[in-house]
Amino acid sequence: MTQRPSSLAELTSVVSEAAACAGALRLVARGTWLTGGARVEATAELLQLDAFSGIVEYEPGDLTITVGAATTIAELDAVTAAHNQWCPLSPWGTDDGSVGATIATATPGPYAHALGLPRDLVLGLECVDGTGKVLRPGGKVVKNVAGFDLVRLMTGAWGSLAAITRVSLRLRARPAVDETWVVEVGAAHADAARHALRRSATPPMACEEFAGQLLVRIAGNAAYVQAARTALRAVGDAERADDARWAQIRAATRPFRARAPMAEAVRLLDAGVKHAFDPANILNPGIMG
Amino acid sequence: MLERPAELLVYESDGLPGYHRTPSLAVFPASADEALAVVRELAAHGVPFVPRGAGTGLSGGALADGAVLLGLQRLKRIIDIDPVRRVARVEPGVVNATLTKAATKHALHYAPDPSSQTACTLGGNLAENAGGPHCLKYGVTLNHVVAAKVALPDGTVVELDADDGGYDLLGAFVGSEGCFGVALELTVKLTPNPERVVTLLADFTSIDDAAQTVSAIIATGILPAALEMMDQATVGAVEASIYAAGYPTDAAAVLLVEVDGAAAGLDEDVQAVDGICRTHGARDVRIATEPAARAKLWQGRKKAFGAMGRIAPHLVVQDAVVPRTKLPSLLARIAEIGAVNNVRVCNVFHAGDGNLHPNIPYDASDRAESERVHAAMKQIMQACIDAGGTITGEHGVGLDKLAYMDALFTADTLDGMCRLRDVFDPARRANPGKVVPVRYCRERRPNRQMVDGGGQMVEGDGGAGAGLREAATVVDRGGRA
Ligand SMILES: Cc1cc2nc3c(=O)[nH]c(=O)nc-3n(C[C@H](O)[C@H](O)[C@H](O)COP(=O)(O)OP(=O)(O)OC[C@H]3O[C@@H](n4cnc5c(N)ncnc54)[C@H](O)[C@@H]3O)c2cc1C
Repeated sequence: MTQRPSSLAELTSVVSEAAACAGALRLVARGTWLTGGARVEATAELLQLDAFSGIVEYEPGDLTITVGAATTIAELDAVTAAHNQWCPLSPWGTDDGSVGATIATATPGPYAHALGLPRDLVLGLECVDGTGKVLRPGGKVVKNVAGFDLVRLMTGAWGSLAAITRVSLRLRARPAVDETWVVEVGAAHADAARHALRRSATPPMACEEFAGQLLVRIAGNAAYVQAARTALRAVGDAERADDARWAQIRAATRPFRARAPMAEAVRLLDAGVKHAFDPANILNPGIMG
Repeated sequence: MLERPAELLVYESDGLPGYHRTPSLAVFPASADEALAVVRELAAHGVPFVPRGAGTGLSGGALADGAVLLGLQRLKRIIDIDPVRRVARVEPGVVNATLTKAATKHALHYAPDPSSQTACTLGGNLAENAGGPHCLKYGVTLNHVVAAKVALPDGTVVELDADDGGYDLLGAFVGSEGCFGVALELTVKLTPNPERVVTLLADFTSIDDAAQTVSAIIATGILPAALEMMDQATVGAVEASIYAAGYPTDAAAVLLVEVDGAAAGLDEDVQAVDGICRTHGARDVRIATEPAARAKLWQGRKKAFGAMGRIAPHLVVQDAVVPRTKLPSLLARIAEIGAVNNVRVCNVFHAGDGNLHPNIPYDASDRAESERVHAAMKQIMQACIDAGGTITGEHGVGLDKLAYMDALFTADTLDGMCRLRDVFDPARRANPGKVVPVRYCRERRPNRQMVDGGGQMVEGDGGAGAGLREAATVVDRGGRA
């Protein structure tokens, strides 16, 4: 069966009822990358969150935006592009994925190295925890240390602590000049070449390796970009490419999930966190592994 | 170990004047092992404690009342600097600027630069998620800590790592104000020194023009390393002090803008900023490229709090954030609040982030003036909340901001914060009574604990007993004692 609440009030009652009878829920926003390959209890009922979608608040001069969690990356990009701005979230995967899932899975993308991981870009959120309570930690301003940081806690929690319904994000103004290049470096030298570019005086905004080629994005004012081009040519044969290449390689790249063996003390803390926010173990049970 | 009242008096306050709380005992371990042994001893006896770095905090966070003060400033070893991976491993008592100094030989620095950087410790920075002028471009402490070794209040040691694939416990620990345990070791990123740095000082005859300029610069896509604003009251205080930087005292406001990075393209950005300032009404823009000239322009900003402190015996230091587009209207509102309450507000702040510091010098022995200051502060904080902002951007909640927490967060959100704290510190012995008002945690788990030194019983209901309850009352009366 599928639950599809259309308001925050409906969502809290769905979660509260599930908690009361320990009925597992599997959270779905856009359904493009449900579990990242992790096991989720097969018996779980689908909790469809696509109603929590759309732009909630966007004041371009603040360089921040608040969106419903199921808003697609494509919509976020289109709305901000109209004001010559963007959010560097652009995660691995397709633009049909949602902002909320990107935050929930902390999925980075090609701009993360230069412009920040999801945890660096999210300013605040609204979510419903496993007890059916609405939490609104953080805010919409770019600096905020009020209270304990439930925003970072929910970022990368894979929907196992709360269902995220709204997200406030940091934006950037688009650079004056922005170019995509392909540089032939050869597979054997790709790592070294990428390292050299990132450590150069004019580091690129993105730099990814594919089969011996580097796909590079350089951005800034005209003089900076000119110097950056020279730096590219120093590591290999360079050729201009279409910006659309980025969406292609993002869509073709399966998001990965980093996992290190966890020490017992950390595992206990993680279990404590899960118990504190989802004591009935109903939200995406098993997804954290 | 200090236990005599006269010695303990030294630790009765932090960087925020007005609060005085005397610890029952103060312990200063000489190594991480000793610190851990102390934490375990405290755990064994169920004694509340308060970690403390340099005590420069501005929210009363490091005050210990009826609790043991655990001083960490002797743990000041830089364990390792890895110039290839660009990270440093340090003990928590290392002073912020000391790390940058040590990294200089590798052309690296530690980017978060609180104005107190020559005194404050990296452990204190971690606990407060400290910011600074250059955080506009480079990010705050959260963005620069990659791992931390933490002694939980029960004596368990955990390594929190940004990349362990579990919950972001490191992110949760950053900014936890000493309530989640004691950081014994930190791994932080080091940032390459920019090829070139240029500092501009623009002066304006209207605060509004200066505030509009801030938004205009940000809107171009140029991300200055720093974008600071000082109003006439602040400039006057600085220029009357030994830190005089040659700021124009007749200006309504000055902007200090720093542009840094690759040499290529930098002059173009400087020219663009210069142009925006002038088209927005700047009378004059001074440009400094040499280190000595730049340092002079910065000196007044870095010492502004100190200079204000000389105007009157006491100073309320405030910290709040508003959306950047609200800066012009908020500065006007603050001026109005100052005038109505007949107090002198000095604004010096991280304008690029919308992070305000409306400070008020006053004489606490003057009761009537104190009341007016208190009233003005409350109105200013409410105005920031109403504008969609927050009550602290970098100084933390500590004791000082407790009274504002429920204006900002719902009861359920505050309860969620208490639940997170209880995961790290179920006995609620680490920095009790700070950050989240006791009443939001009370129902969760009552327990009673013994406090050392005097054998006085306190209720472990989230506060460390009578003293902190008294503190909370003081805060309810308006964030000052
Ligand atoms: C003149 C002046 C200017 C300032 N400018 C800025 C600024 O620009 N930006 C800014 O962010 N702040 C600023 N501050 C505030 C202050 O310097 C910072 O909050 C700083 O991070 C505090 O560091 P500290 O070592 O003094 O910590 P303390 O004041 O000793 O402690 C602060 C908090 O951290 C906890 N703590 C300390 N060490 C540890 C540890 N090892 N493990 C766990 N918890 C710990 C304490 O319990 C306490 O809650 C300024 C202060 C002054 C006086």
